[in-house]
Amino acid sequence: MTDNWRDDWQPVIDAVGRDFADGSTAFGADPVEIGTIRRFVEPLELDSPLHYDAEVARSHGYADVVAPYTQAMSYSIPAMWKPGDATLYCDPAPDAQPARSPINNDDMPLGPKTTGFFATDIELDFVRPLVVGERVGRRGNTLMSCTPKETSMGRGAFLTWQSELVTDSGDIVAYVRTGTYAYVPREEAS
Amino acid sequence: MTALVSRQRTYEEISVGDELGPVEFPLPIYRLVVAAGGNRDFNSIHHNRSYARASGAPDAYASTFFLLGTWERLARDFVGSAGTIRAIRGFRMRKFNLVGSTMTVSGRVTAKRMEGDEPVVVLEVSCQVGSDVTVGPGEVVVTLPLTGGGS
Repeated sequence: MTDNWRDDWQPVIDAVGRDFADGSTAFGADPVEIGTIRRFVEPLELDSPLHYDAEVARSHGYADVVAPYTQAMSYSIPAMWKPGDATLYCDPAPDAQPARSPINNDDMPLGPKTTGFFATDIELDFVRPLVVGERVGRRGNTLMSCTPKETSMGRGAFLTWQSELVTDSGDIVAYVRTGTYAYVPREEAS
Repeated sequence: MTALVSRQRTYEEISVGDELGPVEFPLPIYRLVVAAGGNRDFNSIHHNRSYARASGAPDAYASTFFLLGTWERLARDFVGSAGTIRAIRGFRMRKFNLVGSTMTVSGRVTAKRMEGDEPVVVLEVSCQVGSDVTVGPGEVVVTLPLTGGGS
């Protein structure tokens, strides 16, 4: 990152409106199944029978046990590792990070290299929840805005992305708009 | 498995101003690790305190997926199995929900209306730690059944 760090973000600002996924769908690692629903609801202590009782789910018109609406994004995350991939764990240091991760900003081909990343806001419009047996992926990844900003965390930019979550049968289940902050932490920048 | 059964609310019973929660979520590291295993957000800022501090945060903090889930928990507790969730809007993270704190999620009914045949209710929801609003306030748009089994 140069001294005039805001200029480093200009290629990203110029790319507002671009679909970085070219309309393609990246499917998540696993189909919806009752075990992963259980693991999602456990820390939330979300006890609706829709999420574990197929009979109750069917009585409300669903084909099978229903995943929480907000789990759809988790189901769209690609695998961290799959057979044939190189190892993720190259460094034994306690805080060492995996060589690759599907949920940071690693796949951003433009702009400065950032190591800090978190979501800032989300808008979700749901068409329907996922049910056991379905797979879901993220279709498209359009950059809607880019605003460079220095914060207490470091120097970076607020980015807004838009995509759709679609099932393997082609149903759109949700429209997603996500705000993120990608940045170089102060400790690294100094 | 036997389902837990609670009485189903209906659209007609709901009034603007009705309150939801609060539901308390103590946030030990243990819970955040269980959450990461469940929602696949393994970003170290959510369970590794030294890594989170090096990233510029005061400490490890709850993930977006977990926090979104707390809004769904509050809404689902309110709408029951016959309700649906149509949208979450204004879910803006204003402050960190840090490990070691207790976050509460709460809400209230701000509108109800029929959209065609659909009985729609709008909930204003936020997360709070102490007196600080940490997420939102935003909206969760839900539907509830009509008395007598309409939509």
